[in-house]
Amino acid sequence: MEKKTYKITKKDLYDLFARLSANYRVFLPYADGQRLDFGEFDPKKEDRIELGGIRQSRPVKGFINPPREKILDTSRKDKRPVILAGVKACDLASFILQDFVFLKGEVEDPFYAENRNNTIIIGCDCTYAKETCFCLAMEGAPYPQKNFDINLSPAGDSFIVEVASEKGENIINNFKMFFKNHSATDLNVRQANREKVSREVRYFIDKRGTPDTSAIRGAVKKSYNLTELWKDFASTCVECGACNLVCPTCHCFLLYDEKTAGGNKRFRMWDACMYNTFARVAGGANPRKRLYERLRNRFEKKFDFFPQILNYFACTGCGRCIEACPGDIDLREVLKGLVTGKWNKPPHE
Amino acid sequence: MNNPYAYTEAEILKVVDETQNIKTFTLRPKTGIGFRAGQFMDVSLPGIGEAPFTPSSNHYVKDVLDFTIMRAGRVTSLIHQAKAGDIVGVRGPYGLGYPLNEFKGKEVFIVGGGVGLAPLRALLYALFNEVNDYKKIVLKYGAKTSKDIVYKNEIDSWRAKAGHVDIEISVDVGDDTWKGNVGLVTTVLKPGLVDVNNAVAIVCGPPIMMKFVTFKLLDLGFKENTVYLSMEKNMSCGIGKCGHCRIGPYYACKDGPVFTYDKIKDLPNIWD
Ligand SMILES: Cc1cc2nc3c(=O)[nH]c(=O)nc-3n(C[C@H](O)[C@H](O)[C@H](O)COP(=O)(O)OP(=O)(O)OC[C@H]3O[C@@H](n4cnc5c(N)ncnc54)[C@H](O)[C@@H]3O)c2cc1C
Ligand code: SF4
Ligand code: SF4
Ligand code: FES
Repeated sequence: MEKKTYKITKKDLYDLFARLSANYRVFLPYADGQRLDFGEFDPKKEDRIELGGIRQSRPVKGFINPPREKILDTSRKDKRPVILAGVKACDLASFILQDFVFLKGEVEDPFYAENRNNTIIIGCDCTYAKETCFCLAMEGAPYPQKNFDINLSPAGDSFIVEVASEKGENIINNFKMFFKNHSATDLNVRQANREKVSREVRYFIDKRGTPDTSAIRGAVKKSYNLTELWKDFASTCVECGACNLVCPTCHCFLLYDEKTAGGNKRFRMWDACMYNTFARVAGGANPRKRLYERLRNRFEKKFDFFPQILNYFACTGCGRCIEACPGDIDLREVLKGLVTGKWNKPPHE
Repeated sequence: MNNPYAYTEAEILKVVDETQNIKTFTLRPKTGIGFRAGQFMDVSLPGIGEAPFTPSSNHYVKDVLDFTIMRAGRVTSLIHQAKAGDIVGVRGPYGLGYPLNEFKGKEVFIVGGGVGLAPLRALLYALFNEVNDYKKIVLKYGAKTSKDIVYKNEIDSWRAKAGHVDIEISVDVGDDTWKGNVGLVTTVLKPGLVDVNNAVAIVCGPPIMMKFVTFKLLDLGFKENTVYLSMEKNMSCGIGKCGHCRIGPYYACKDGPVFTYDKIKDLPNIWD
């Protein structure tokens, strides 16, 4: 559909959130020291709202696909629809993959589908980039282009509003008084900001020599015999699984049963392919016994498997795994090593 | 809600001790669950956990299912404590069955090892149902000792049931009572048993056995795309979502668990 655009002042937007929170659970990013994290809308914390900025420290997938979800006894949960505001392009891109896994195929995952339908997504342009950002190398951009209902582009004391779905349009129609027409200059302001942030991301990509998807295609497959590369990078891995858990595209889970006083429960819990137990079968046989094989597997899944079956690189360039890794394993350095055949050991030791 | 993770309750009708650590459970699900030979299901102990198993019964029988289960760890040890009358859960079937239509008119050469005979029993029953559609059925089965042979009391009736079925059992370690071949199952795979140009081979057993049997079959002249292997992988969801069972570009739970050798031979660590 033709994307309609409006303008809303910051004050009106916060008033809108207050009004919406009567019927929705509204989550927004709040500044928390150096980090941005989602929190439920609270009028008392208005001064800490940060809709622009960069991606939040935790991936947005957790709202649709919670780390631990009860899937047998469904007698729970707050059924109010959710609004997620301030979601950045790198997290929105991850829905290509999450939706493919959970909604497509022979069977749909009804829990994911319900949460997904029940959620309205309000995106927001990044207003600066961080050293670990490389969305542009992964066919993304630092501003939302798809997978949102409404997008906000900060422009001075206002936001330019772009509507991309019926869900989004309903909100605008219900609260018409908050939305104004914008001028042509407003779109120029948006464009200038987008170009500025894109230049910042590009600068970090170039500075690091991070390869882009055209160079990465097929590189993991070719690297199978570069055992030394995988061993070097895995040498500082402590198998914590953080890289999997913070990644917006990682989707693997485990079914887990529990007996409680209230009866038998089954949960779906996030799992991590970096754990030794992930592929282990009965009796201890394991196709990926060694840590370097598991690290290689993680790259294979993201940069070989998904491009092969979905024509999509399961990495959005968010940089979270780089920040999260206690072993200082930098995904960009691994990719560079795969493409050039040259790499430096992680600087940890 | 159509919940793919929910199980159907099933009553255990009968438990048969096959060997020291293998039992066959006959279950009657509350609502009928059909399957095709080679597909698998998840059997669960409510509140404890579940594990994947291939039904070992005849897929033409719709109201009951047999599962032949080896005690191997947490869930299987607890399943082994279950008795007739107990309630378990089953969900499935998942994966692709054996492509019986492609076997028609051919000689079917089956090689099993240990508890790997469970899915092969379902396959044999399916073949027996339309036995004249296959030129020949050969089963070569290997067990550790004569005490580790599953379906001991049935195998003779299989031999009798159909004229052109050839069954041979080999044990790794012999004893006074054992009159048959002693040696790994590969020692009974000899040239001339089948016409490799018009045969398919089906292999199911421990990974190391599958590896050496596959190499032997290729030596005997089987083509890579006529050797069907059951790949045991860590499985959780069974429906291609949890990511556990991935092997190269496939999910074993939906693209398998049976693969022809040519499809997987270039993937790393397939025998581990
Ligand atoms: C398609 C298929 C068909 C099969 N058919 C048969 C068959 O017909 N007969 C048969 O005997 N076997 C069969 N198996 C093997 C059978 O599934 C295993 O023996 C069984 O899963 C062992 O489960 P366990 O819990 O007893 O073993 P364990 O060794 O305790 O666990 C097995 C796996 O589950 C994980 N796991 C177990 N408990 C937990 C936990 N609490 N938290 C997290 N992870 C856990 C382990 O990491 C391991 O990967 C089949 C396997 C597959 C894949
Ligand atoms: S692999 Fe790392 S950079 Fe890529 S999407 Fe996942 S967390 Fe972000
Ligand atoms: S975050 Fe780093 S240390 Fe932890 S599992 Fe991933 S690679 Fe290993
Ligand atoms: S068992 Fe979950 S993807 Fe195959």
